[in-house]
Amino acid sequence: MKAGVLKLLFVVLAINLFFTYIGLYFLPQSESRPPKEIKLQEGISQGELIRLGEKIVFGKGQCMVCHPMKAETGMRAPAIATIGSTMQKEAAKRGISAEEYLFIALIAPSKHVAEGFDDIMPPVHKPPTSLNEGELIAVAAYLQSRGGKVTVSYPGSIKLLKTLISKEGGKKHE
Amino acid sequence: MAGKDVKKGVVKGILKLSLTLGCGFVLLFLLKKIVPGPTEDGYRFFPLIGSRVWVWVVAQLHLNFAAFVLGVPIFAVTMEFLGWRKTDERLDRIAYDFTKLFTLAYTLTAVMGAILMVSLPLLYPRFIEHMFRILGPTWWAYILFMYAEVFVCYYYFYSWQKMKDKKGLHVLIGVLLNVMGATLLLITSAWVGYMTTPGGVSETGELINRWHAINTYMWIPLSLHRLVANVVFGAGIAAAYAAFRFITATTEDEKAYYDWMGYTSAMIAIGFSLILPGIGYLLGVEIYSFNEQMGIQLMGGFYAWLWVMQAILIGAILFLINYYLWISLNKMPGGERYFRYVKFLFIVVFFGYIIWLTPHSVALSLEEARRIGSYHPALGKLGVMASKNTAVIVSYMATFISFAIFRMSNKEPTVSWAKAGQLLRALIIVVSSVVVLVIGVYSYMVPSVTRVKVLSPIQFGVFFLAILALYILDSRMYKNARIIGEPKWGRMPERSQYALIGITVTFTWLMGMMGYMRSGGRMFWHVYGIMKDTSPDAYLPTHGVASVIVTIVTLLFFFMIGFVFWSVMKLEKFAEKRRAG
Repeated sequence: MKAGVLKLLFVVLAINLFFTYIGLYFLPQSESRPPKEIKLQEGISQGELIRLGEKIVFGKGQCMVCHPMKAETGMRAPAIATIGSTMQKEAAKRGISAEEYLFIALIAPSKHVAEGFDDIMPPVHKPPTSLNEGELIAVAAYLQSRGGKVTVSYPGSIKLLKTLISKEGGKKHE
Repeated sequence: MAGKDVKKGVVKGILKLSLTLGCGFVLLFLLKKIVPGPTEDGYRFFPLIGSRVWVWVVAQLHLNFAAFVLGVPIFAVTMEFLGWRKTDERLDRIAYDFTKLFTLAYTLTAVMGAILMVSLPLLYPRFIEHMFRILGPTWWAYILFMYAEVFVCYYYFYSWQKMKDKKGLHVLIGVLLNVMGATLLLITSAWVGYMTTPGGVSETGELINRWHAINTYMWIPLSLHRLVANVVFGAGIAAAYAAFRFITATTEDEKAYYDWMGYTSAMIAIGFSLILPGIGYLLGVEIYSFNEQMGIQLMGGFYAWLWVMQAILIGAILFLINYYLWISLNKMPGGERYFRYVKFLFIVVFFGYIIWLTPHSVALSLEEARRIGSYHPALGKLGVMASKNTAVIVSYMATFISFAIFRMSNKEPTVSWAKAGQLLRALIIVVSSVVVLVIGVYSYMVPSVTRVKVLSPIQFGVFFLAILALYILDSRMYKNARIIGEPKWGRMPERSQYALIGITVTFTWLMGMMGYMRSGGRMFWHVYGIMKDTSPDAYLPTHGVASVIVTIVTLLFFFMIGFVFWSVMKLEKFAEKRRAG
């Protein structure tokens, strides 16, 4: 009887150790840390703004969760590679500046849902993404640089962004 | 005398709960006075291992015990009901044994709950203050129902002998016990639901509508998922108990009984586990409806590799249950006729497992996957869901066939259409498998949305229809069948019992890991999007660290549940001595 119980204990321990071994040595090991807030310096260069924007798009912004880099079948949201030119055309169609169109797409995305896609994007200046004004401008610069002309700047675009947030950004994403 | 025993038993239960809660409140009060105040952002720190790991271990242990004491009564009362209607003493005995187990486990559940009750407000005061502000009344309802449940539970257990002749009423008490259990589950799921998919509050966390804070996206699907998972887990623990008793049994009668108990419990566990993917799918849909990003992060982001781990665990469970059923053929007179099919079933389950384990990509996160491409550099599209779903369904089909073979292995049909029936059975198996395979291949050619919303449900639908058809066909065909010989319960090698234990250990590990993933879906938030986690623990650990903690929890749980098993044995011996004396 005692031998049987000991064997049972061994089985319980061995199975646990086996799964731990897989977890430790077969799965890739990396931690996921909360993103840090980026504060922009006044007069930041366009190149640096685009670089920071790219970092946010791939990190804190979590944009790549839904947006693929290049167009692919079954994609949930428009591809990033050509998004700048697409947005420029859409803005022209609506008779607004590309800058305004972009900011609205970020803070009140339900207003400009891209054709053929579902309304799934949350306003990224609100929790849980919570991008600050500088980060929003950097993201806008990066997106414009994907096939379009970069017109946003820091702090030049702050005023328009603030106006749009007070006008559109308070509205709930339905 | 019996009436006195019931009263004494119930009072004992209430006293134990009151004492545990009382000690918890006193300890909390004293610790708050002794330990330094919380940091500015509302945290205290647990020494050495940190607050997160401490709460993680305690909460998961409490959850494991809670799952056990909520899950087992469901099939205990079902067994009692069946035993009563079929006048089968053995079913009544198994129901009583299950009741003995969960009644004893209540104390440990309450102790773990009390430790959690002290730990949370002490280590996370700001968070608990927020939860109390939003969902406060549910906490009082929880305490009320906990007392009601303990009252009904102890009454149910201690009145078993006294109400032998009032079975209908006793079954009704068992049903009431399950209603209490389900209510407690609904309350706790509301808390988790609010933390993960909050509603009813403003962006700054002010309460707008309490009902909306309770009735969140996740509430009902999570409750349903937990309810079924609890039955699976409870049955698994009962199977482990039976295996333990089988191994320690000293008489042939005992061995026969615990062999039967192990088989019955394991089949309940596996049977109910079949519906878990469907409810899990429902839960996933609700998470996606609340926040698409959270859904994608959970399925394909940081946790993508843990889904491979999940495949390893469920595949191991399928392997072990098949192995157990194949060994079980030895105790069936006539079972040797089916030995030749075992190797084919093994091949199917083995290749199903290999396909299921094939990684989708080598990327560690979704962001990385977007940069380097979504598929594995060497295996290409072999590891996508189209092939995995197909492999899982075929493996489940093989497991069902193992079960069906076991059930009919000691019988010979006597109906005139037996040959046609056998042919029809083979046809159902072949046609459904081919349909599942064809849909699987076709799934490669359609957008993922069509696969997820149309083709995968059809695959699962074909599988469920096939097993339903097989079950009905076998029931008709083997009605009044010639019995070659009764099953020789107890004639099982010890290794079969290790398979049962293996299934339960794997279930427990799986539960710990999936609980971690569900909790991690909130990322760096106590309440997603409402209350940020600003503690030093606000990060997701490596999969290795998570595995170590899940293992520690599983080992601790088995140590404690082993104590419950040992206590049951001691109580039985004590009762025997009292009867003899």
